Amino acid sequence: MSDRGIVLAQARMAMLVALRTPRTVIFTIAFPVILLVLFNSIFNAGGNETTTLPSDVKLSAEAYFTAGIIAYAAALSTFTTLAVSLTTQREHGQLKRYRGTPMPPWTFIAGQIIRAEAQALAMAAVLLAIGALAYDVPVPAATFPAFVLYLLLGTATLCSLGIALSAFTPTPDAASTIAPFSVVILSFVSGVWIPVDQLPSWLEKVGQIFPLSHLALGLQTTLAPGASGSGLEAGTVLALVIWALIGIRIATHRFKWEPQASAA
Amino acid sequence: MSEVAISVRGLRKSYGENEAVAGIDFEVAGGEVFGFLGPNGAGKTTTIEILEGYRERSDGEVAVLGVDPAAPTRAWRERVGLVLQECELDPLWTVREAVSLFARFYRDPRPVGETIELVGLADKRDARIGSLSGGQKRRADVALGIIGDPELIFLDEPTTGFDPGARRDAWNMIEGLKALGKTVFLTTHYMDEAQHLADRVAILRGGQIVAQGKTEEIAETIGRSTVIGFVANGELSVEDMRAAVSGTVSTVGDQVEIQTPEPQRDLYQLLALAEQRGAELRELEVRRPNLEDVFLELTRESP
Repeated sequence: MSDRGIVLAQARMAMLVALRTPRTVIFTIAFPVILLVLFNSIFNAGGNETTTLPSDVKLSAEAYFTAGIIAYAAALSTFTTLAVSLTTQREHGQLKRYRGTPMPPWTFIAGQIIRAEAQALAMAAVLLAIGALAYDVPVPAATFPAFVLYLLLGTATLCSLGIALSAFTPTPDAASTIAPFSVVILSFVSGVWIPVDQLPSWLEKVGQIFPLSHLALGLQTTLAPGASGSGLEAGTVLALVIWALIGIRIATHRFKWEPQASAA
Repeated sequence: MSEVAISVRGLRKSYGENEAVAGIDFEVAGGEVFGFLGPNGAGKTTTIEILEGYRERSDGEVAVLGVDPAAPTRAWRERVGLVLQECELDPLWTVREAVSLFARFYRDPRPVGETIELVGLADKRDARIGSLSGGQKRRADVALGIIGDPELIFLDEPTTGFDPGARRDAWNMIEGLKALGKTVFLTTHYMDEAQHLADRVAILRGGQIVAQGKTEEIAETIGRSTVIGFVANGELSVEDMRAAVSGTVSTVGDQVEIQTPEPQRDLYQLLALAEQRGAELRELEVRRPNLEDVFLELTRESP
Protein backbone atom coordinates (compact mmCIF):
# COMPACT_ATOMS: atom_id res chain seq x y z
CA MET A 1 0.00 0.00 0.00
CA SER A 2 1.31 3.39 -1.01
CA ASP A 3 2.11 6.09 1.51
CA ARG A 4 -0.51 8.28 -0.15
CA GLY A 5 -3.04 5.54 0.54
CA ILE A 6 -2.04 5.57 4.23
CA VAL A 7 -2.44 9.36 4.41
CA LEU A 8 -5.93 9.20 2.92
CA ALA A 9 -6.93 6.27 5.15
CA GLN A 10 -5.73 8.19 8.24
CA ALA A 11 -7.62 11.29 7.11
CA ARG A 12 -10.76 9.23 6.54
CA MET A 13 -10.52 7.56 9.96
CA ALA A 14 -9.96 10.93 11.65
CA MET A 15 -13.01 12.31 9.85
CA LEU A 16 -15.11 9.31 10.94
CA VAL A 17 -14.06 9.83 14.54
CA ALA A 18 -14.89 13.55 14.38
CA LEU A 19 -18.33 12.87 12.93
CA ARG A 20 -19.01 10.15 15.51
CA THR A 21 -18.11 12.43 18.41
CA PRO A 22 -21.19 14.44 19.37
CA ARG A 23 -19.10 17.08 21.14
CA THR A 24 -17.07 17.74 18.00
CA VAL A 25 -20.14 17.90 15.77
CA ILE A 26 -21.94 20.27 18.13
CA PHE A 27 -19.10 22.60 19.05
CA THR A 28 -17.07 22.74 15.87
CA ILE A 29 -19.73 22.22 13.18
CA ALA A 30 -23.20 23.16 14.45
CA PHE A 31 -22.12 25.92 16.85
CA PRO A 32 -20.52 28.28 14.28
CA VAL A 33 -23.56 27.95 11.99
CA ILE A 34 -25.92 28.77 14.86
CA LEU A 35 -23.76 31.71 15.94
CA LEU A 36 -23.65 33.05 12.38
CA VAL A 37 -27.43 33.07 12.19
CA LEU A 38 -27.78 34.55 15.71
CA PHE A 39 -25.27 37.34 15.23
CA ASN A 40 -26.60 38.37 11.86
CA SER A 41 -30.16 38.28 13.13
CA ILE A 42 -29.61 40.05 16.44
CA PHE A 43 -27.12 42.75 15.59
CA ASN A 44 -28.41 43.94 12.30
CA ALA A 45 -32.09 43.08 12.22
CA GLY A 46 -33.16 44.94 9.10
CA GLY A 47 -30.61 47.71 9.68
CA ASN A 48 -27.77 49.06 7.63
CA GLU A 49 -24.96 48.79 10.13
CA THR A 50 -21.52 49.07 8.68
CA THR A 51 -18.15 48.44 10.21
CA THR A 52 -14.93 50.17 9.34
CA LEU A 53 -11.76 48.13 9.26
CA PRO A 54 -8.43 49.63 10.38
CA SER A 55 -7.59 50.11 6.69
CA ASP A 56 -10.66 52.42 6.45
CA VAL A 57 -12.45 49.89 4.26
CA LYS A 58 -16.15 49.66 5.10
CA LEU A 59 -18.27 46.54 5.03
CA SER A 60 -21.71 45.49 6.22
CA ALA A 61 -22.10 44.05 9.69
CA GLU A 62 -23.21 40.79 8.07
CA ALA A 63 -20.07 40.54 5.97
CA TYR A 64 -18.00 41.40 9.05
CA PHE A 65 -19.58 38.72 11.23
CA THR A 66 -19.59 36.12 8.46
CA ALA A 67 -15.87 36.56 7.83
CA GLY A 68 -15.12 36.65 11.56
CA ILE A 69 -17.13 33.50 12.27
CA ILE A 70 -15.42 31.73 9.35
CA ALA A 71 -12.11 32.51 11.10
CA TYR A 72 -13.55 31.29 14.41
CA ALA A 73 -14.83 28.04 12.82
CA ALA A 74 -11.45 27.56 11.13
CA ALA A 75 -9.72 27.81 14.52
CA LEU A 76 -12.07 25.25 16.06
CA SER A 77 -11.73 22.87 13.09
CA THR A 78 -7.95 22.99 13.09
CA PHE A 79 -6.30 24.28 16.26
CA THR A 80 -8.81 22.96 18.80
CA THR A 81 -9.63 19.57 17.30
CA LEU A 82 -5.98 18.79 16.49
CA ALA A 83 -4.76 19.64 20.00
CA VAL A 84 -7.52 17.56 21.60
CA SER A 85 -7.40 14.59 19.26
CA LEU A 86 -3.60 14.29 19.18
CA THR A 87 -3.39 14.51 22.97
CA THR A 88 -6.13 11.90 23.33
CA GLN A 89 -4.57 9.53 20.84
CA ARG A 90 -1.16 9.93 22.46
CA GLU A 91 -2.40 9.35 26.01
CA HIS A 92 -4.40 6.30 24.93
CA GLY A 93 -1.23 4.77 23.52
CA GLN A 94 -2.51 4.91 19.97
CA LEU A 95 0.46 6.94 18.71
CA LYS A 96 2.87 4.55 20.42
CA ARG A 97 1.14 1.68 18.68
CA TYR A 98 1.54 3.41 15.30
CA ARG A 99 5.25 3.76 15.94
CA GLY A 100 5.46 -0.02 16.29
CA THR A 101 4.22 -0.50 12.71
CA PRO A 102 5.91 0.25 9.37
CA MET A 103 3.65 3.31 8.98
CA PRO A 104 5.86 6.36 8.24
CA PRO A 105 5.13 8.88 11.03
CA TRP A 106 4.58 11.76 8.60
CA THR A 107 1.66 9.95 6.99
CA PHE A 108 -0.23 10.05 10.28
CA ILE A 109 0.37 13.77 10.81
CA ALA A 110 -0.53 14.49 7.17
CA GLY A 111 -3.78 12.55 7.57
CA GLN A 112 -4.70 14.57 10.68
CA ILE A 113 -3.94 17.86 8.92
CA ILE A 114 -6.02 16.86 5.89
CA ARG A 115 -8.96 16.09 8.16
CA ALA A 116 -8.61 19.48 9.86
CA GLU A 117 -8.25 21.36 6.57
CA ALA A 118 -11.17 19.54 4.97
CA GLN A 119 -13.36 20.37 7.94
CA ALA A 120 -12.23 24.01 8.03
CA LEU A 121 -12.72 24.54 4.28
CA ALA A 122 -16.13 22.82 4.28
CA MET A 123 -17.19 24.99 7.23
CA ALA A 124 -15.97 28.11 5.41
CA ALA A 125 -17.92 27.13 2.28
CA VAL A 126 -21.11 26.50 4.26
CA LEU A 127 -20.82 29.69 6.33
CA LEU A 128 -19.99 31.81 3.29
CA ALA A 129 -22.89 30.30 1.35
CA ILE A 130 -25.30 31.06 4.23
CA GLY A 131 -23.90 34.59 4.46
CA ALA A 132 -24.21 35.20 0.71
CA LEU A 133 -27.66 33.67 0.31
CA ALA A 134 -29.38 34.75 3.53
CA TYR A 135 -27.60 37.98 4.46
CA ASP A 136 -26.45 39.44 1.14
CA VAL A 137 -22.79 39.13 2.03
CA PRO A 138 -20.86 40.14 -1.09
CA VAL A 139 -18.22 37.82 -2.49
CA PRO A 140 -16.14 40.21 -4.64
CA ALA A 141 -14.48 38.37 -7.54
CA ALA A 142 -11.38 40.57 -7.39
CA THR A 143 -10.54 39.67 -3.81
CA PHE A 144 -11.89 36.10 -3.70
CA PRO A 145 -8.49 34.54 -4.52
CA ALA A 146 -7.05 36.45 -1.56
CA PHE A 147 -9.93 35.19 0.62
CA VAL A 148 -8.98 31.60 -0.27
CA LEU A 149 -5.31 32.32 0.30
CA TYR A 150 -5.94 33.82 3.76
CA LEU A 151 -8.07 30.81 4.59
CA LEU A 152 -5.39 28.33 3.51
CA LEU A 153 -2.57 30.21 5.19
CA GLY A 154 -4.58 30.84 8.35
CA THR A 155 -5.72 27.24 8.72
CA ALA A 156 -2.19 25.95 8.04
CA THR A 157 -0.93 28.27 10.79
CA LEU A 158 -3.63 27.13 13.20
CA CYS A 159 -2.93 23.45 12.37
CA SER A 160 0.73 23.88 13.24
CA LEU A 161 -0.19 25.64 16.49
CA GLY A 162 -2.72 22.93 17.42
CA ILE A 163 -0.09 20.24 16.89
CA ALA A 164 2.39 22.33 18.87
CA LEU A 165 -0.07 22.79 21.75
CA SER A 166 -0.64 19.04 22.00
CA ALA A 167 2.99 18.66 23.07
CA PHE A 168 2.21 20.66 26.23
CA THR A 169 -1.18 19.24 27.22
CA PRO A 170 -0.52 16.20 29.39
CA THR A 171 -4.07 14.80 29.35
CA PRO A 172 -7.09 14.86 27.03
CA ASP A 173 -8.91 16.83 29.74
CA ALA A 174 -6.23 19.50 29.75
CA ALA A 175 -6.31 19.74 25.96
CA SER A 176 -10.08 19.93 25.72
CA THR A 177 -10.10 22.73 28.29
CA ILE A 178 -7.15 24.82 27.11
CA ALA A 179 -7.66 24.59 23.35
CA PRO A 180 -11.33 25.67 23.06
CA PHE A 181 -11.00 28.15 25.93
CA SER A 182 -8.11 29.99 24.31
CA VAL A 183 -10.01 30.24 21.01
CA VAL A 184 -13.11 31.64 22.73
CA ILE A 185 -11.11 34.20 24.69
CA LEU A 186 -9.09 35.26 21.65
CA SER A 187 -12.21 35.53 19.52
CA PHE A 188 -13.42 38.42 21.72
CA VAL A 189 -10.29 40.46 21.08
CA SER A 190 -9.77 39.36 17.46
CA GLY A 191 -12.73 41.04 15.83
CA VAL A 192 -14.90 37.97 15.59
CA TRP A 193 -17.85 39.07 17.75
CA ILE A 194 -16.97 42.68 18.46
CA PRO A 195 -15.41 45.01 15.88
CA VAL A 196 -11.91 45.75 17.06
CA ASP A 197 -12.44 49.52 16.82
CA GLN A 198 -14.91 49.18 19.69
CA LEU A 199 -12.29 47.62 21.97
CA PRO A 200 -10.01 49.59 24.30
CA SER A 201 -6.83 50.11 22.34
CA TRP A 202 -4.70 48.03 24.71
CA LEU A 203 -7.05 45.08 24.26
CA GLU A 204 -6.98 45.58 20.51
CA LYS A 205 -3.19 45.44 20.66
CA VAL A 206 -3.25 42.25 22.72
CA GLY A 207 -5.56 40.67 20.16
CA GLN A 208 -3.23 41.70 17.35
CA ILE A 209 -0.41 39.62 18.80
CA PHE A 210 -2.30 36.41 18.02
CA PRO A 211 -3.01 34.87 14.62
CA LEU A 212 -6.80 34.66 14.93
CA SER A 213 -7.13 38.44 14.63
CA HIS A 214 -5.03 38.44 11.46
CA LEU A 215 -7.03 35.63 9.89
CA ALA A 216 -10.30 37.40 10.76
CA LEU A 217 -9.00 40.73 9.43
CA GLY A 218 -7.74 39.13 6.22
CA LEU A 219 -11.07 37.46 5.56
CA GLN A 220 -13.03 40.61 6.46
CA THR A 221 -10.90 42.72 4.12
CA THR A 222 -11.43 40.36 1.20
CA LEU A 223 -15.23 40.33 1.72
CA ALA A 224 -15.44 44.13 1.66
CA PRO A 225 -16.81 45.40 -1.63
CA GLY A 226 -14.53 48.44 -1.56
CA ALA A 227 -11.26 46.60 -0.89
CA SER A 228 -8.46 47.81 -3.09
CA GLY A 229 -6.45 45.53 -5.38
CA SER A 230 -6.14 41.89 -4.49
CA GLY A 231 -7.11 42.45 -0.87
CA LEU A 232 -3.81 40.98 0.37
CA GLU A 233 -2.01 43.02 2.98
CA ALA A 234 1.64 42.34 3.70
CA GLY A 235 1.33 42.85 7.47
CA THR A 236 -1.52 40.35 7.81
CA VAL A 237 0.20 37.73 5.65
CA LEU A 238 3.49 38.22 7.51
CA ALA A 239 1.86 37.82 10.94
CA LEU A 240 0.29 34.52 9.88
CA VAL A 241 3.55 33.28 8.36
CA ILE A 242 5.50 34.09 11.53
CA TRP A 243 2.98 32.20 13.67
CA ALA A 244 3.09 29.28 11.24
CA LEU A 245 6.88 29.14 11.56
CA ILE A 246 6.63 29.23 15.36
CA GLY A 247 4.04 26.44 15.29
CA ILE A 248 6.04 24.27 12.89
CA ARG A 249 9.22 24.77 14.88
CA ILE A 250 7.59 23.73 18.17
CA ALA A 251 5.55 20.92 16.59
CA THR A 252 8.54 19.31 14.90
CA HIS A 253 10.80 19.65 17.95
CA ARG A 254 8.43 18.85 20.78
CA PHE A 255 5.88 16.41 19.38
CA LYS A 256 5.63 13.25 21.49
CA TRP A 257 4.43 9.81 20.48
CA GLU A 258 4.40 8.11 23.88
CA PRO A 259 1.88 8.71 26.66
CA GLN A 260 3.09 11.45 29.03
CA ALA A 261 0.74 11.22 32.00
CA SER A 262 1.59 7.60 32.75
CA ALA A 263 5.28 7.89 31.83
CA ALA A 264 7.54 6.51 34.52
CA MET B 1 12.74 -22.36 11.29
CA SER B 2 15.59 -22.95 13.59
CA GLU B 3 17.66 -19.79 13.18
CA VAL B 4 17.90 -17.39 16.08
CA ALA B 5 15.01 -14.91 16.22
CA ILE B 6 16.21 -12.87 19.17
CA SER B 7 19.68 -12.74 20.61
CA VAL B 8 20.52 -10.72 23.72
CA ARG B 9 24.02 -10.46 25.20
CA GLY B 10 24.91 -8.48 28.31
CA LEU B 11 21.88 -6.21 28.01
CA ARG B 12 21.84 -3.36 30.50
CA LYS B 13 19.56 -0.40 30.99
CA SER B 14 19.96 2.17 33.71
CA TYR B 15 17.80 5.12 34.60
CA GLY B 16 20.19 7.35 36.50
CA GLU B 17 21.46 5.37 39.48
CA ASN B 18 18.84 2.69 39.09
CA GLU B 19 19.76 -0.29 36.94
CA ALA B 20 16.47 -1.69 35.62
CA VAL B 21 18.15 -4.39 33.57
CA ALA B 22 21.47 -5.53 34.98
CA GLY B 23 23.15 -7.59 32.28
CA ILE B 24 21.00 -10.34 30.84
CA ASP B 25 21.64 -12.95 28.14
CA PHE B 26 19.15 -15.09 26.29
CA GLU B 27 18.27 -16.40 22.88
CA VAL B 28 14.93 -17.12 21.28
CA ALA B 29 14.92 -19.65 18.45
CA GLY B 30 12.80 -19.14 15.37
CA GLY B 31 9.37 -20.76 15.67
CA GLU B 32 9.33 -21.14 19.43
CA VAL B 33 7.10 -19.60 22.07
CA PHE B 34 9.36 -17.93 24.63
CA GLY B 35 7.88 -17.02 28.01
CA PHE B 36 9.49 -13.96 29.63
CA LEU B 37 8.43 -13.95 33.26
CA GLY B 38 9.02 -11.90 36.35
CA PRO B 39 7.23 -9.92 39.04
CA ASN B 40 6.36 -6.26 38.48
CA GLY B 41 9.44 -4.10 38.52
CA ALA B 42 11.78 -6.93 37.53
CA GLY B 43 12.74 -5.21 34.26
CA LYS B 44 10.37 -7.07 31.95
CA THR B 45 8.78 -4.06 30.35
CA THR B 46 12.09 -2.27 29.94
CA THR B 47 13.56 -5.32 28.20
CA ILE B 48 10.59 -5.88 25.92
CA GLU B 49 10.51 -2.20 24.95
CA ILE B 50 14.18 -2.36 24.03
CA LEU B 51 13.51 -5.43 21.88
CA GLU B 52 10.51 -3.70 20.28
CA GLY B 53 12.57 -0.67 19.30
CA TYR B 54 10.91 1.80 21.69
CA ARG B 55 13.75 2.29 24.13
CA GLU B 56 17.49 2.64 23.86
CA ARG B 57 19.71 0.36 25.86
CA SER B 58 22.63 1.43 28.03
CA ASP B 59 24.87 -1.47 27.07
CA GLY B 60 24.97 -4.90 25.50
CA GLU B 61 24.24 -6.49 22.15
CA VAL B 62 20.74 -7.10 20.86
CA ALA B 63 19.62 -8.54 17.55
CA VAL B 64 15.95 -9.06 16.71
CA LEU B 65 15.51 -10.91 13.41
CA GLY B 66 19.14 -10.02 12.76
CA VAL B 67 18.54 -6.27 13.17
CA ASP B 68 19.56 -3.96 16.01
CA PRO B 69 16.21 -2.66 17.32
CA ALA B 70 17.89 0.58 18.44
CA ALA B 71 17.68 1.59 14.78
CA PRO B 72 14.31 0.23 13.69
CA THR B 73 13.74 0.32 9.94
CA ARG B 74 10.49 0.15 8.05
CA ALA B 75 11.49 -3.21 6.52
CA TRP B 76 12.12 -4.58 10.03
CA ARG B 77 8.80 -3.26 11.32
CA GLU B 78 7.13 -5.24 8.51
CA ARG B 79 8.43 -8.46 10.08
CA VAL B 80 7.67 -7.75 13.75
CA GLY B 81 4.17 -7.63 15.26
CA LEU B 82 3.50 -5.94 18.59
CA VAL B 83 0.69 -6.42 21.07
CA LEU B 84 1.42 -3.78 23.68
CA GLN B 85 0.13 -3.32 27.19
CA GLU B 86 -2.14 -0.39 27.93
CA CYS B 87 -2.85 0.71 24.40
CA GLU B 88 -6.41 1.66 23.83
CA LEU B 89 -7.87 1.72 20.36
CA ASP B 90 -10.18 4.51 19.35
CA PRO B 91 -13.53 3.43 20.81
CA LEU B 92 -15.34 5.01 17.86
CA TRP B 93 -13.74 2.78 15.22
CA THR B 94 -15.31 -0.51 14.27
CA VAL B 95 -13.19 -3.64 14.46
CA ARG B 96 -13.05 -3.89 10.69
CA GLU B 97 -12.12 -0.21 10.25
CA ALA B 98 -9.25 -0.56 12.70
CA VAL B 99 -7.89 -3.75 11.17
CA SER B 100 -8.26 -2.35 7.62
CA LEU B 101 -6.36 0.81 8.60
CA PHE B 102 -3.48 -1.17 10.03
CA ALA B 103 -3.47 -3.51 7.02
CA ARG B 104 -2.58 -0.48 4.88
CA PHE B 105 0.67 0.02 6.79
CA TYR B 106 2.09 -3.26 5.49
CA ARG B 107 3.27 -4.19 2.03
CA ASP B 108 1.84 -7.69 2.20
CA PRO B 109 -0.77 -7.92 4.97
CA ARG B 110 -2.93 -10.88 5.90
CA PRO B 111 -6.53 -10.72 4.62
CA VAL B 112 -8.57 -8.48 6.95
CA GLY B 113 -11.63 -10.73 7.22
CA GLU B 114 -9.59 -13.85 7.84
CA THR B 115 -7.54 -12.13 10.55
CA ILE B 116 -10.68 -10.93 12.34
CA GLU B 117 -11.95 -14.52 12.21
CA LEU B 118 -8.66 -15.89 13.52
CA VAL B 119 -8.93 -13.78 16.68
CA GLY B 120 -12.57 -14.80 17.10
CA LEU B 121 -14.21 -11.45 16.42
CA ALA B 122 -16.11 -12.38 13.23
CA ASP B 123 -19.45 -11.68 14.97
CA LYS B 124 -18.20 -8.32 16.13
CA ARG B 125 -16.54 -7.10 12.94
CA ASP B 126 -18.89 -4.14 12.57
CA ALA B 127 -19.16 -3.35 16.27
CA ARG B 128 -17.51 -0.22 17.64
CA ILE B 129 -14.38 -0.99 19.66
CA GLY B 130 -15.93 0.93 22.57
CA SER B 131 -18.77 -1.59 22.79
CA LEU B 132 -16.47 -4.62 23.13
CA SER B 133 -15.68 -6.44 26.39
CA GLY B 134 -12.15 -6.30 27.77
CA GLY B 135 -11.31 -9.69 26.31
CA GLN B 136 -12.70 -8.75 22.92
CA LYS B 137 -10.69 -5.50 22.89
CA ARG B 138 -7.55 -7.48 23.63
CA ARG B 139 -8.36 -9.77 20.70
CA ALA B 140 -8.68 -6.71 18.48
CA ASP B 141 -5.21 -5.70 19.73
CA VAL B 142 -3.92 -9.11 18.71
CA ALA B 143 -5.55 -8.76 15.27
CA LEU B 144 -3.62 -5.49 14.76
CA GLY B 145 -0.43 -7.16 15.95
CA ILE B 146 -0.65 -9.95 13.40
CA ILE B 147 -2.29 -8.17 10.44
CA GLY B 148 1.12 -7.60 8.87
CA ASP B 149 1.78 -11.36 8.91
CA PRO B 150 4.91 -10.91 11.06
CA GLU B 151 7.57 -13.55 11.62
CA LEU B 152 7.95 -12.53 15.25
CA ILE B 153 5.17 -11.43 17.57
CA PHE B 154 5.56 -9.74 20.95
CA LEU B 155 2.59 -10.48 23.19
CA ASP B 156 2.83 -8.36 26.33
CA GLU B 157 0.36 -9.79 28.86
CA PRO B 158 -2.15 -10.74 26.19
CA THR B 159 -4.76 -12.27 28.52
CA THR B 160 -4.77 -9.93 31.52
CA GLY B 161 -8.36 -9.43 32.63
CA PHE B 162 -9.73 -12.38 30.63
CA ASP B 163 -12.29 -14.77 32.04
CA PRO B 164 -11.23 -18.46 31.95
CA GLY B 165 -13.11 -19.18 28.74
CA ALA B 166 -11.60 -16.21 26.91
CA ARG B 167 -8.17 -17.22 28.18
CA ARG B 168 -8.57 -20.72 26.71
CA ASP B 169 -9.60 -19.17 23.38
CA ALA B 170 -6.54 -16.92 23.46
CA TRP B 171 -4.32 -19.91 24.17
CA ASN B 172 -5.75 -21.71 21.16
CA MET B 173 -5.06 -18.65 19.06
CA ILE B 174 -1.46 -18.40 20.26
CA GLU B 175 -0.99 -22.11 19.55
CA GLY B 176 -2.38 -21.37 16.09
CA LEU B 177 0.31 -18.72 15.58
CA LYS B 178 2.97 -21.20 16.59
CA ALA B 179 1.52 -23.75 14.17
CA LEU B 180 1.93 -21.14 11.43
CA GLY B 181 5.66 -21.09 12.25
CA LYS B 182 5.64 -17.72 14.03
CA THR B 183 8.02 -16.93 16.84
CA VAL B 184 6.17 -15.64 19.90
CA PHE B 185 7.74 -13.61 22.70
CA LEU B 186 5.22 -13.82 25.53
CA THR B 187 5.06 -12.03 28.86
CA THR B 188 2.41 -13.00 31.36
CA HIS B 189 1.67 -13.01 35.07
CA TYR B 190 -0.16 -16.33 34.75
CA MET B 191 2.23 -19.21 35.30
CA ASP B 192 -0.28 -21.76 34.03
CA GLU B 193 -0.38 -19.76 30.82
CA ALA B 194 3.39 -19.83 30.42
CA GLN B 195 3.46 -23.51 31.37
CA HIS B 196 0.83 -24.29 28.76
CA LEU B 197 2.16 -22.16 25.90
CA ALA B 198 5.88 -21.59 26.27
CA ASP B 199 8.51 -23.94 24.89
CA ARG B 200 11.11 -22.17 26.99
CA VAL B 201 10.97 -19.56 29.70
CA ALA B 202 13.26 -17.07 31.38
CA ILE B 203 12.49 -15.76 34.86
CA LEU B 204 13.63 -12.26 35.68
CA ARG B 205 14.18 -10.81 39.13
CA GLY B 206 15.73 -7.48 39.99
CA GLY B 207 16.95 -6.95 36.44
CA GLN B 208 18.64 -10.33 36.21
CA ILE B 209 17.64 -13.68 34.81
CA VAL B 210 17.46 -16.11 37.73
CA ALA B 211 16.44 -19.17 35.70
CA GLN B 212 15.91 -20.08 32.10
CA GLY B 213 15.37 -23.24 30.14
CA LYS B 214 12.77 -25.55 28.70
CA THR B 215 9.49 -25.11 30.49
CA GLU B 216 9.28 -28.78 31.57
CA GLU B 217 12.86 -28.83 32.78
CA ILE B 218 13.06 -25.50 34.55
CA ALA B 219 12.24 -27.07 37.92
CA GLU B 220 15.13 -29.50 37.62
CA THR B 221 17.50 -26.75 36.60
CA ILE B 222 17.01 -25.10 39.98
CA GLY B 223 17.15 -28.42 41.87
CA ARG B 224 13.47 -28.87 42.55
CA SER B 225 12.31 -32.47 42.42
CA THR B 226 9.04 -34.37 42.37
CA VAL B 227 7.00 -34.35 45.56
CA ILE B 228 5.02 -37.29 46.99
CA GLY B 229 2.50 -35.94 49.46
CA PHE B 230 -0.05 -37.57 51.75
CA VAL B 231 -1.61 -37.45 55.19
CA ALA B 232 -0.27 -40.20 57.47
CA ASN B 233 -2.50 -41.72 60.13
CA GLY B 234 0.13 -42.52 62.73
CA GLU B 235 0.99 -46.10 61.83
CA LEU B 236 3.97 -45.01 59.75
CA SER B 237 6.90 -43.48 61.57
CA VAL B 238 9.08 -40.91 59.91
CA GLU B 239 12.09 -43.10 60.70
CA ASP B 240 10.57 -46.03 58.79
CA MET B 241 9.81 -43.84 55.84
CA ARG B 242 13.31 -42.31 55.84
CA ALA B 243 14.75 -45.85 55.80
CA ALA B 244 12.53 -46.93 52.92
CA VAL B 245 12.87 -44.04 50.43
CA SER B 246 15.79 -42.24 48.81
CA GLY B 247 14.10 -38.82 48.91
CA THR B 248 13.91 -36.25 51.70
CA VAL B 249 11.02 -36.72 54.12
CA SER B 250 9.50 -33.71 55.82
CA THR B 251 6.34 -33.37 57.89
CA VAL B 252 4.01 -30.58 58.90
CA GLY B 253 1.54 -32.03 61.39
CA ASP B 254 0.02 -35.08 59.71
CA GLN B 255 1.04 -33.89 56.29
CA VAL B 256 4.05 -35.71 54.88
CA GLU B 257 6.05 -34.59 51.87
CA ILE B 258 8.78 -36.61 50.22
CA GLN B 259 10.94 -34.73 47.77
CA THR B 260 12.54 -37.26 45.51
CA PRO B 261 14.71 -37.50 42.43
CA GLU B 262 13.39 -41.10 41.97
CA PRO B 263 9.61 -40.81 42.29
CA GLN B 264 8.78 -44.19 40.81
CA ARG B 265 11.08 -46.20 43.10
CA ASP B 266 10.20 -44.22 46.24
CA LEU B 267 6.49 -44.49 45.57
CA TYR B 268 6.83 -48.24 45.23
CA GLN B 269 8.77 -48.49 48.49
CA LEU B 270 6.30 -46.26 50.28
CA LEU B 271 3.26 -48.24 49.11
CA ALA B 272 4.95 -51.50 50.08
CA LEU B 273 5.70 -50.10 53.54
CA ALA B 274 2.14 -48.87 54.00
CA GLU B 275 0.74 -52.26 52.88
CA GLN B 276 3.02 -54.08 55.31
CA ARG B 277 1.94 -51.85 58.24
CA GLY B 278 -1.71 -51.76 57.21
CA ALA B 279 -1.47 -47.97 57.01
CA GLU B 280 -3.67 -45.78 54.88
CA LEU B 281 -2.12 -42.93 52.85
CA ARG B 282 -4.90 -40.40 52.63
CA GLU B 283 -4.90 -37.65 49.97
CA LEU B 284 -2.00 -39.31 48.24
CA GLU B 285 -0.60 -37.28 45.35
CA VAL B 286 2.51 -37.20 43.22
CA ARG B 287 3.27 -33.70 42.10
CA ARG B 288 5.86 -32.53 39.65
CA PRO B 289 6.98 -29.05 40.62
CA ASN B 290 5.22 -26.68 38.27
CA LEU B 291 6.32 -23.36 36.91
CA GLU B 292 4.37 -21.51 39.56
CA ASP B 293 6.29 -23.28 42.37
CA VAL B 294 9.55 -22.37 40.69
CA PHE B 295 8.48 -18.81 40.03
CA LEU B 296 7.35 -18.23 43.59
CA GLU B 297 10.49 -19.74 45.04
CA LEU B 298 12.78 -17.70 42.80
CA THR B 299 11.00 -14.39 43.14
CA ARG B 300 9.69 -14.59 46.69
CA GLU B 301 11.94 -12.20 48.55
CA SER B 302 13.00 -9.01 46.92
CA PRO B 303 16.72 -8.77 46.16
